[in-house]
This record gives sequence, C-alpha cells and structure tokens, in this order.
Amino acid sequence: MKTASGKKARMSSGKKKSWKVLLRHYWPLYIMLIPCVVYYAVICYVPMAGNVLAFKDYSFRKGIWGSDWVGLKYFKTFFHSYDCWRLIRNTFAIGFIKTILEFPFALILALMLNEIRNMKFKKISQTITYLPHFLSTVIVVTMLQRVLAPNIGILNQIIKIFGGEGSTYYLMESNYFYRILFLMDIWRGIGWGSIIYLSAISGVDPELYEAAELDGCGKLKKMWHITIPGIQGTVGLLFIMGIGGIFSSGYDQIWLLRTPGNMALADTLDTYVVRIGLQGGQFGYASAIGLIQGIVGLVMVVVCNTISKKMTEVSLW
Amino acid sequence: MHAKGKSSRIRKIKTNPVDQCIQVIIYIMILALCAVILLPCVNILALSFNDGGDAARGGVWFWPRVFTLANYKEVFADGSITRAYGITLARTLIGTFCSLTVTVLAGFALMDKGLPGRRILSMLITFTMLFGGGTIPTYIQYNNLHLLDSFWVYVVPGLVSVTYLMMVRTFFEGIPSSLVESAQLDGCGFFKILWKIILPLSKPVLAVIGLYTAVGHWNDWFAGAFYMTSSKLWPVQTVLQQMLSRAMAAESGEDLAQMTASQAIAKAANMVTSDSLKMAAVVITTVPILCVYPFVQKYFAKGAMIGAVKG
Repeated sequence: MKTASGKKARMSSGKKKSWKVLLRHYWPLYIMLIPCVVYYAVICYVPMAGNVLAFKDYSFRKGIWGSDWVGLKYFKTFFHSYDCWRLIRNTFAIGFIKTILEFPFALILALMLNEIRNMKFKKISQTITYLPHFLSTVIVVTMLQRVLAPNIGILNQIIKIFGGEGSTYYLMESNYFYRILFLMDIWRGIGWGSIIYLSAISGVDPELYEAAELDGCGKLKKMWHITIPGIQGTVGLLFIMGIGGIFSSGYDQIWLLRTPGNMALADTLDTYVVRIGLQGGQFGYASAIGLIQGIVGLVMVVVCNTISKKMTEVSLW
Repeated sequence: MHAKGKSSRIRKIKTNPVDQCIQVIIYIMILALCAVILLPCVNILALSFNDGGDAARGGVWFWPRVFTLANYKEVFADGSITRAYGITLARTLIGTFCSLTVTVLAGFALMDKGLPGRRILSMLITFTMLFGGGTIPTYIQYNNLHLLDSFWVYVVPGLVSVTYLMMVRTFFEGIPSSLVESAQLDGCGFFKILWKIILPLSKPVLAVIGLYTAVGHWNDWFAGAFYMTSSKLWPVQTVLQQMLSRAMAAESGEDLAQMTASQAIAKAANMVTSDSLKMAAVVITTVPILCVYPFVQKYFAKGAMIGAVKG
C-alpha cells in the first residue's frame, strides 16, 4: 500500500501532470467505472433529486419536473392528519426495538462463542446460528404463521401440554406484535450479527489475556477489561451505522407481519408510504413522508457520529 | 492455540470454580439457542411431509405422522410455481453475474490512489448509504426507465451495493502492490492486471459477495410484488408471499359479505392451499440456499473481516 502511494507521489511530484497525460494513463480505469457511475447516477441520484416530488402535485403526464409546486401542503396535511402521530409512534417504537434493544444480543453471543474451547461444538453452533439469516422474510413469516397458529401450532401445543388453553392467535393480537417482531429478529439475526464481533475479538492481542491470567483474572474480568475495550471501536461503528434506522421500520418484514389484528401497531411510516404511494397512487404525499424519514435518518447518523467523534474518536468518516 | 486453550482450562478447573460455572452456563445457553433455531425448522420439515388434512388436526411435532410426498408432487405440478422457480433462478444467475462484474470493475478502478476524481467519487457513492430517493421517486424513475413489468427490474436496481463495493476495494488494496507494479513494468494494461493478477487472488471476496448477492436475489419478494403487475414474471418468493397474505386475510375472520369478489375468490383458493402444501413450497425454496451454504461458510469470517476494516 505504502509503495503504491509512494509511487503515485513520485508520479505526481515535480510538475502537476496535465489532464491529457493523466487521461492517457488512466482511461481504462474510467471505462471500468462507467457502469458503476451510471448506476449511481440513474438509480440513486436521480431519485434523490426526485424527492422534490414532496413539494409537487404529481401529474403522470407532466412528470416530476413539470408538475406544479404545492409548497408544504403535504407536510401540513400529514402533520394534521389523524394517522400522523400513531404512525410516527409506531415507527419510532419499531426503530427503537431494532436499533437499540436488539443491538447487544449479537455481541453477547459473540462473547459467549469466544469462551468456547471445544472447536467442534463452536463450529456446529455457528453453522446453526448463521442459518436463519439466509431464509427470506417471506419464508420466516410463513413458518411463523404456522408455528404460532392457534391450536395446531407447536407453540400453542406446548402451552397445552403445560395445561394452558393454547388457542391464542399470536399474529392477530396486537399485544404480542412487538414481542414477535423482536424475537423474530433475534432468531434470524443473532448468529449473523455475531460474526463481525468474533472477527473483531480475534484481533485483540492475546498477550493481554495472558497478562490478565497471571494477575489472576477470571473469565468475566477478562471479558470486561480486555475483550470489550478491545472491540469497542467496532461496536461503536456498528451502533452509529445502525442508529440511522431508528426512524424507519423497514417494510419487508412489517409488511408481511401486518394483520388486521395488529394493524394498530404494525402500521408504520414505511408501510404507509408503500400503501398510499405504490398502492394508492398518492405520489406527492407519500414522497413527503418518505422525505421526512430520510432526513431524520441522515440527521441521526450525522449527529451520533459527531458526538461519538468528540467523545471516543470513533467515527464513520 | 487449541492445545493451549485446553491446558489453561485444565489449570483453571483447579483454581476457579466460578469460571467453570460460567463455562457450563454458556454451553447450556448456546445449546438452547441452537434448539430454538432448529426446532421450528424441523417442525416445518415434518409438516411438509405430512398429509395436509391430517396436519390440520394438529399434533405433528418433529416427525411426520401420516407420511406422504403428495405435497411436493402438488407443488411441482403447479405450473405457476415451477415457472416462478425458473424466474428466480434466472434472476439469481444473471443478477449475481452482472453485480459481480460491475462491482469488480469499479472496485479495481477505485483502488488506484492516483486516479483523479477518486475521492469525490467514493464520497458520492458512500453518501447513497446515508440518504437516497424515497420509495416513490425511485418507483417513478423505474417507470421512466421502463423497468417496471420487465425482467430487468430484478437485476438493475440492486446492481451495485456500496458495502460490497467497499469490501471488494479493501480486499484489492490488501493485495501486495509489488505484484501490480511489476506487471505494470512488464507493460500490462489495467485490464490485463485485473484479469491476470487481481482476480485469481480474489476468490474469497468474490465468493462471499457472490453468495450475499445471490441470496439477496433468491430471497427478494418485494420487486416482484410491487414492480411487476404480471404474475407471469413473479419470482417464487413473491408467489409465496401472495399465498401468505391470502392466508392472513382469510384467517382474519373478515366478514365474507364485506369482501370484494377477488378477495372472496382468494379466500376460496386459500382453502385449497393447505398448510402442508405451503410448507413443502417453503422447503423447496430454501433447500438450494442450504446446499450452497456449507461450501461458502468458511469465507464468512473473512468477509466480515474485510467489511469491518472500512465500514
């Protein structure tokens, strides 16, 4: 790496190379970049600019740019609407569960796996815990629907064995919704999330452990004083990256888990945008809500990153 | 390292009962986690081999009670599912190939520290992770590009991912630059360097990213459900999702009188789609992923490591 940059420094030292010389040298790289640049321009940046739709009355005939401006109309409508605060509360609640409550579990699993000395057991348990990550949301929810089904689902069957009624329809009752969501995420994500921590843990200097052992530290002490400080940079980075999601629920999973029974809690801004926008055709209004979410997410990441940079020097950029 | 771990454990057994206790608790907790993950899957597997009518009575645990292959036969006999399989297979192969190509090319170009514009391009690309077009502007853009209702809506939108691009770039940067330099001195152009030197050394990262992308394609239902009106081009996940939402609607106990005609038909169709049939479809849809999984598993840790270097 050093030699490469050193070489470049030599190349560009002396006189600044003219564009022509640079282009003659680098043109193949620019050709390699074309598909990627076109992709980001067309698929990411044009829709980003298309966010102005939030301030326009979309007309299919006139397109985004030709449509008439309506100013902040949609934002006003939204904040005055009956749904507004319910949707915001639901979105925040789910975002909170996903970014904060679920966050420590993968770390805990990684710490536990790290203590396992029986390599065969470790390998097998890793294989098993990674597995659900590869099942699609549709598959998991379909399984969930059957496993949690009233009377015939295995959960209710187990409850029956222990003398319960066993007729609860978990997916239809809103008071189980957050629990189902939370457990489904843990079930699916805990193993996969632990990989990155495990690789961070493997980077911790083993001499530190040996020194601690000589000082008579037990497992917990070593974990607390060596492992966790050793990986706090990784933990911090992942947390900051995750925090941008606190104001979104994602639509993939929520869309599939929504039932008439839990609608009061499962209707979030993300699903609302899909419902009224893609299904209902209210493009401007849906864009406005999407834009609010996007901006809140961006602000969250920037603010958390700034705070973290000041306090711990952990930073995304 | 293994042996050392063992010897230190033996020593500690003598000295520290607390540690031994913790060790036991950890084993139990991990075993419990594995059981919680596996048992529902086994239950689903058992159901898929069980007679549908019999399964509806409940009581099927981890082994089929009335064994039958009828569910699987029925799934394969259903033309719409086999066609959806074809679509899924096609999008996975084509999509993964296109993604890898574009990502590798861009990652290689962005690796060169002397490339004018490299910094600004990297920044612009990374920014899309933080902020993007909302669902609706994106939808309109797909419409303008005539992607809606075309097969390419499965391939183009997910073509490049920032994370994978950065992973590839970071991996390339780890390749000793002396190799590249000596090739340059031998008069190799960039394309030749990429093809002859970089790619043969990049199998781990290509395997990891290829697998991630392929799984993403295999598992995606959203594009089919919202960007594709014609069910002829639906991938298998979308077909399953439609089955699922029909089932949810039917079981919610909505008054039939309040349903539209199409909903009522859907409800009637759902009665035929027994749970066991659905579970068979679930199993068939999942098996291909599980077949590839063990072969690429060894690369996961490596992949996470590459990803961790630069967020």
